[in-house]
Amino acid sequence: MTWTLLAPAALALGALALGPLLAHLARQKPTERLPYGAMMLVQRLVKRLRRRRRLRDALLMLLRLLAVVLVVLAVARPEVSWPGDVPEFGGTGRVILVIDDSMSMALRRFPGGQTLFGAARTEALELIEDLPEGAEVGLVRLGGEAEPLLTSLTGDRALLASELEGLEPGYGTTDLAGGLRTARALLEDQPGEVVVFTDQAGPGVVTGAAEEVARLVSRGSSIIPRVVEAADLGNLVVSGAAYGEGLEGGTVTVQVDNFGPADVEAPVTVTLPDGSEITAFVTAPAGESAQTQVTVPPEVPGGIGSARVHDDGLVLDDVRSFHLPRVGASRVLVVDGDPGSTPVRSEVYFLERALAPWGEVRGGVLPEIVAPAGLVTLDPEVHRVVYLANLSDPATWAADLVDFVRGGGGLVLSLGSNVTADRYNGSLHELLPARLRKARSLVAASAEGGVPLALPDFSDPLFRPFTRRGRSALEQVEVRIAWTLEPYQDTEDVHTLLRLEDGNPVLVERVVGRGRVLLWTSTVDLDWTNLPLQAAYLPLVQRITSWLGGEAGAASSRYEGRVFDTVQVAVPGGTGEPILTGPDAEEVSYTMKSGPERTVRFVPTRPGAYALAFEGASPFAMVAVNTDPVESDVRVHGELAQVEAEVAPELFLRKAELGLWALWLGLALLAAQAVMGRWLGRRIT
Amino acid sequence: MSEVLSPWEPEVLARIHHLQLLARHVVEGVLHGAHKSRRLGPNVEFADYKEYSPGDPLRDLDWKVLARTDRLVVRRYEAETELACTLVLDASGDGGTGQSAVRGRLPPEGSKLSYGVALAATLAYFLHLHGEPVGLAILGGEGVEQPWIPPRGGRQHLAQLFAALARVQPGGRADIAQSVGRFASRVPRRGLVAFITDFMEESPSWLPALAGLSRRRADLVAFHLLDRRELSLDYDRPIVVFSPEGGAALPIDPGGDRHEFDRVVAEWLQEVRGAVLGHGGRHLPTWTDQPLETVLRRAIQGLL
Repeated sequence: MTWTLLAPAALALGALALGPLLAHLARQKPTERLPYGAMMLVQRLVKRLRRRRRLRDALLMLLRLLAVVLVVLAVARPEVSWPGDVPEFGGTGRVILVIDDSMSMALRRFPGGQTLFGAARTEALELIEDLPEGAEVGLVRLGGEAEPLLTSLTGDRALLASELEGLEPGYGTTDLAGGLRTARALLEDQPGEVVVFTDQAGPGVVTGAAEEVARLVSRGSSIIPRVVEAADLGNLVVSGAAYGEGLEGGTVTVQVDNFGPADVEAPVTVTLPDGSEITAFVTAPAGESAQTQVTVPPEVPGGIGSARVHDDGLVLDDVRSFHLPRVGASRVLVVDGDPGSTPVRSEVYFLERALAPWGEVRGGVLPEIVAPAGLVTLDPEVHRVVYLANLSDPATWAADLVDFVRGGGGLVLSLGSNVTADRYNGSLHELLPARLRKARSLVAASAEGGVPLALPDFSDPLFRPFTRRGRSALEQVEVRIAWTLEPYQDTEDVHTLLRLEDGNPVLVERVVGRGRVLLWTSTVDLDWTNLPLQAAYLPLVQRITSWLGGEAGAASSRYEGRVFDTVQVAVPGGTGEPILTGPDAEEVSYTMKSGPERTVRFVPTRPGAYALAFEGASPFAMVAVNTDPVESDVRVHGELAQVEAEVAPELFLRKAELGLWALWLGLALLAAQAVMGRWLGRRIT
Repeated sequence: MSEVLSPWEPEVLARIHHLQLLARHVVEGVLHGAHKSRRLGPNVEFADYKEYSPGDPLRDLDWKVLARTDRLVVRRYEAETELACTLVLDASGDGGTGQSAVRGRLPPEGSKLSYGVALAATLAYFLHLHGEPVGLAILGGEGVEQPWIPPRGGRQHLAQLFAALARVQPGGRADIAQSVGRFASRVPRRGLVAFITDFMEESPSWLPALAGLSRRRADLVAFHLLDRRELSLDYDRPIVVFSPEGGAALPIDPGGDRHEFDRVVAEWLQEVRGAVLGHGGRHLPTWTDQPLETVLRRAIQGLL
């Protein structure tokens, strides 16, 4: 607070204040002396009144001094200035109302009460009503991407009110910087007043707008924050939901963030793509995150599920969509290219045991062992993975296999002595990660053992289960004979998963369409490798099957998106126009980027599951769209007024001239002392 | 200090004469029409009868009883006790103040002391008329040759009292406790002690005096001299007041709020009254603007 005097010379009159003081000191004392016979009583009275008298005299003198000082001050015209909470409003007549309709504004001020947006809108409407005649007003909304509601300033209050009435908070984030930029544009870089109705919620929202604040202020504008707050500030949000690994289904891990001031226990309901619901409870400490896990059934179709936390705060962010792979027993077609004379000598003897170690009673995989002719039973709707084990000539079924893989199926090619490079390279070139060259002994024929496996990259999803255990098991695997491949480069679609210690690749993956192909360059029996006898064999086969049949081998590609962020989806072959459907199966418009790789682009405006499909076909891409977690943090992380005050503190100064007040107060004190003097009466001694 | 006046000074003689006239005037005014005098009859009072026995005076025989009952009974009488009275006059400096006193021909005119002297003279004359011995004790004062005159009867003694009263001048402090202590032992037991004072001393200084007299079974009567102007601060302008007995002077604004002063006065009166009554005495607030007859009339209701 700063005090200044507009007429400091008038302080010279302050000498008048000495008047009461001198008068007090020089009170006239009587001169006539009289013998008095009741002095004892007078002394008693003096003793009794002494304290009261001192107080009264001091009070009266103080009142008189104050009165004179105030009157002198009134002449000197004191002015006081102090920093206000917001800049002064009502100076320019050009006003931009920036209203925050982001998701956080849907928070209710108290349970069952008005939303923050509702309160802000009411306040904005009142402000429009109170604006002076001739004031020109512009409207800007902030949610998602800021935009003006009217293209220019207007004095039409009805129009302004109608625009505001039609506004509701959406799922967008707070684009405060964009809003201020838009306001500046509406003001055409001329001075004006920008009234911002916002909750200031979300980390970085306010501080990110500092530059725009500075630009506005530098052009002579002021920003007047009108902050709306909730009485009971709190919000739970599902900040993460993901399906975990598991051969027999698995778990969905749900993460809940608590942005409130108190610990909260809340139910979380996970809705699976088939509509079934599973509820668990989560206890989220104040200001922290907590997780809960929901076990999904053994058989669940893939798709987009959702996790909902039941929360009285902001409800728009209570649901989070997540991708769920097909969960359940994978039907695997195993084509035995070398049956052998006895089952034990069969090429797939070990593979069959590894796929279904407990038979059909319980297991994640249901293998069907067939001879090469059995490939005719391949059904993309039934089978998820096909193993071709040492098949001599796949040409007959090559086309079916290509379609199967393109459609999202998984194919594992294991080689052997029956394989001929030309047949494979010719018929399966669309599937092979690299062309085959020849089978080669890696060690001398008389030598025992083979070339051990080099440890793989355990961060690869396929080997992630081996991260903690199983390393040593993989180290025991040795390969004596393997097919060599023509030189190839690891690309986005092709990459080497396993190599031998001599550098030869033994497991190579290729992404084809929506499916994948794994090429094992040796055998899956004991002819060329000791792999089937190693502890790593069973989990590796199970993992490959699970990976191809579940997570990696979904029927459609999976994408993640965020509300109001552009989503791009690669369109697989074909020339037809795909159809994009939104969370309520409504058709959503998009743009198509043509070219060798066609890409669909769209901006989701609501969270939920979006699907891209060609007419009459299953979706080829699913997009799980969620809200921006920043918007869920309803806490205030920065104050617009503070940012503005740092840029232009002078805008916040409030000024008041106190001359008239001082005069009235001085006169009032004079009257008060007179009344008090009369009321107290003349003192007797 | 004023000069001690000789009893033969014309002024003193004038005062004595004035006092005699004043006392007689007042007393006769009071007694007129009431009764002649209780001293006109024999100084005996009938008590009871007893059977005649040889040697009893015949004049005490009740002839009427003998005529009616034929029995010889003798009247018996109780002799009336003398009521020795000591007048204690406060002649301290404060007594010289006050301007309300009537009959203020004695100096200082209108003062409490002049009124007290007149009252003392009146009482002395009244008691003399009734044949009671009267003494005088003067507390403080100036020109006092004999502060203690023991109670006696007779015209000569009355003249001595009047002479002492005529010469007394205000001055000094009363020091009631100390002064009374000097003669308390000589005050006749069961006698009457009439205080004529303004009690302008803090009670701890005079309470012991009352207690001492009370122990001697003295009947206490306190003529509490009060000057109306002093106690009502009836002055027309601010003044500085001081006590003739010494001490600091204090300015007084009579136009100020007197409420608190009135309370002080009322509390003080109550204090004095309580102390006197507490020692078995009578407290007679005596405003100096009251006629002496009124005061005397109130006083004799309990005196005789």
